[in-house]
Amino acid sequence: MAMNRRDFLKVSAGASGSLMLSLSLPGCSGIPTGYTEETGEWKPDAWLEITRNDKIHFTLARVEMGQGTYTGLTTLIAEELEVDPEAITPRFAPVAPEYRNPLYKLQLTGGSTSIATSWEPLRTAGASARQMLIMAAADVWQVDAAECSARQGRVVHPNGLDSMRYGQLVELASKQVIRGDIPLKPAREWKYIGKQRGRLDAHAKSTGTAVYGIDVELPGMVYSVVSRPPRYGARVKSFNKSEVLAMPGVLDVFEIERGVAIVADKYWRARKAQDALKAEWDNAEALSLSTGEVFASYRKAADEDRGESERSEGDYENAVEKAGQVFEAEYSQPYLAHSTLEPMNATAWYRDNSIEVWAPTQAPDLGRIAAARVTDLSPGDVTINTTFLGGGFGRRLTQDYIEEAAAVSYRVRKPVKLIWSREEDTQHDLYRPAMLHRMQAGLEGNRLTGWHHQIVGPQLLDWYVRNAAPAQYPWAPKFMYDTLGKVGLLAEGIATPKDMSAIEGAIEYPYNVDNIDIRHTHTDPGVPVTFWRSVGYSHNGFAVETFMDELAYEAGEDPYQFRRKLLAGQPRHLEVLDRAVQLSKWNTPVLEGRGRGLALFKSFGTFVAQVVEAGVENGNIRVYKVACAVDCGQVVNPRIVEDQIEGGIIFGLTAAIYGEITFDEGQPQQSNFHDYQLMRQTELPEVTVDIVQSTEAPTGVGEPGVPPVIPALGNALFALTGKRQRSLPLKADA
Amino acid sequence: MALSLTVNGERRSLDIEGDTPLLWVLRDELGLKGTKFGCGVGLCGACTVHLNGQPVRSCSTPVESAAGGEVTTIEGLAEDGQLHPLQKAWIAEGVPQCGYCQSGQIMSAAHLLATNPAPARDDIVAAMTGNLCRCGTYSRIIAAVESVAGKSLAYDAQAAGEER
Repeated sequence: MAMNRRDFLKVSAGASGSLMLSLSLPGCSGIPTGYTEETGEWKPDAWLEITRNDKIHFTLARVEMGQGTYTGLTTLIAEELEVDPEAITPRFAPVAPEYRNPLYKLQLTGGSTSIATSWEPLRTAGASARQMLIMAAADVWQVDAAECSARQGRVVHPNGLDSMRYGQLVELASKQVIRGDIPLKPAREWKYIGKQRGRLDAHAKSTGTAVYGIDVELPGMVYSVVSRPPRYGARVKSFNKSEVLAMPGVLDVFEIERGVAIVADKYWRARKAQDALKAEWDNAEALSLSTGEVFASYRKAADEDRGESERSEGDYENAVEKAGQVFEAEYSQPYLAHSTLEPMNATAWYRDNSIEVWAPTQAPDLGRIAAARVTDLSPGDVTINTTFLGGGFGRRLTQDYIEEAAAVSYRVRKPVKLIWSREEDTQHDLYRPAMLHRMQAGLEGNRLTGWHHQIVGPQLLDWYVRNAAPAQYPWAPKFMYDTLGKVGLLAEGIATPKDMSAIEGAIEYPYNVDNIDIRHTHTDPGVPVTFWRSVGYSHNGFAVETFMDELAYEAGEDPYQFRRKLLAGQPRHLEVLDRAVQLSKWNTPVLEGRGRGLALFKSFGTFVAQVVEAGVENGNIRVYKVACAVDCGQVVNPRIVEDQIEGGIIFGLTAAIYGEITFDEGQPQQSNFHDYQLMRQTELPEVTVDIVQSTEAPTGVGEPGVPPVIPALGNALFALTGKRQRSLPLKADA
Repeated sequence: MALSLTVNGERRSLDIEGDTPLLWVLRDELGLKGTKFGCGVGLCGACTVHLNGQPVRSCSTPVESAAGGEVTTIEGLAEDGQLHPLQKAWIAEGVPQCGYCQSGQIMSAAHLLATNPAPARDDIVAAMTGNLCRCGTYSRIIAAVESVAGKSLAYDAQAAGEER
């Protein structure tokens, strides 16, 4: 839902003084707004609450999982409200239509969209509240509101001397009606946007007081662990219930949809009881393949089906026929786990025909559907309380852990905290899909004349609509959930958005080549998959930017100049490319034993170029430096942009060097950080981030640091060794 | 079994199975949720606390092996209502992203400074490499520790002087 400021204001003005600023969907109940005499609270809109004691609360509708919404979105509203962001206390939003992400029509945090989608609405909300406060003060003083100003939580009289606190004005402000346009502050007057500032959650996160899902404590709470079948899709056949029930502290042992749940008075007792559990699994419908078969099935699918055309320009077949040389390469990437440092967990409390859930979730309205599905309740009876998230990276868009906690509490009728072990988190993840890419290009001399990219692998919405579709149709009865999911998929592009997860980043191929043919062969081997930081861009970036590098060498050109020539008319691509190259001192010789590699990739609207300097030390890949230039439009908090890009680089390098989940007869082979490694402090490269100053609309930064660093590292290793690696993870001894 | 621990300067008596990891005792019996569960086998460092002045992975330290000992957690790092210099540095530097690993990071850094008040960069990297951060805050961690390294004693002396 694209929302411009005028539409937005039409809604607020049309509400005849109810001061409802957020978009209301027909048939959905809104968040109550207005002034409450007893409490002295004024809610000018769904986001803000100002009390007569000058407390300011901001309802944060995008969860905080490290990416900085807690600080960034608060800054947007503070800027226009004319208060220091530190003076505002954010709180996590309940589930309500007002808090939906307008791009997805769901209340979810993902796709690096939080700043981009909040940029106008939150500033408008802040400006509207400020304007009403000014009008209230002008009424009191009997002066022209246009002559008054707002500063640091006070309205200032035209004489420049007298002022009133916002708290003194809330009741009067609530009676004001704004007519016409609400002007936003011009950029030159910004005090907080674009300025280097710290994080509002740093204190809580440096003192151990930030509350994550795993920290929730309820009276009479019990603990649960679930033993899930080793192979995805298997069912419980039988288990030794009485032996487990006899273990100390165990309260109940029973089957739920996803395995065998054990409930005990203490977490450790539940874990110990789990050791005593002997379960037999019915593997009739279980996943049985091994990793090699996944890629074999992809190749077979690619041979049999050239795939749906996703972008076609010129006449690729003809161009290839005419070309002097045709180059081909096949790239592949493995399944990847998310490894959020806080393992999956949720706390649920079923009582009095309702259920309340506390969870670190990226999509609370999908959590509602998940909890309703496994109880006798409807989504409206489910309350979701969102906590801080100990990492998200897309994993917490899927609500399986809420589903489990709700199912267990439904059975035991007590508050239940359910925690996954690290091993369970790794082996029962929904993974970044393994993918295959077949690339082909025509070169006439050193001129690239044709580009062909066949992407082979699954689509993520196939695994996602189960909960997402019902959340978009909250009126639908539960028995329709599965149907809704299927209908959503069938009506892709109409009822649900077109699934871009496999092709994003590939179809936006930016280089000026006359003949382009990009296809997707849709095939799904049945391994559960979901969104993973940078999603489709994570694999397409590797394929596109590695193949571009191969072609540059084939053409006998410098990889930088080769790309540069093909980017005429793409000023933002060129700008970041030039800057990264300059930052890396591309044209100076590297030290002995090192190579430099380059990649350029736009994702989520943000342009990123990176140069990696790497080598091999003691049989291990060693990354020394990463020079990065980024253009994300208007920057709200430069320090957070830098941190997100650097964090994305480390996330990407971790995947490039270590990341691989393999399957053996349907069972994931990795389990904990010894065999699914994360990059450590000793491996940290020197990262430099250059941010382009821009007045373009802001775009996201949570994910765009990831995609280019993977091919840039591969390209650096090629520059060093002369050996091209076309599958991930990269190897030191290739 | 009955045992006692001194946690953040306070003596606590417990009746608990001796093989329960110290982590779950701190979190669930004593309500100190600042120490985090990450991997359960001492690989990630999120659960780092000090036991008798040494950093330990509380997720794989049976509480019976800590009986009678002195434990310091992130909640006990502040003194006299003043945050530890490292905590102030963490806030000033804006280290945390998701923040889940940071209690463990700070406890590892606090032990480093307690034993080596002026660590070189290499010392910091070596001391901190057992603490994983999935968000990639590593460079800010080094910067925060460096901002305190070699200065904490001087600060304390100065603060003490001012008080006198």
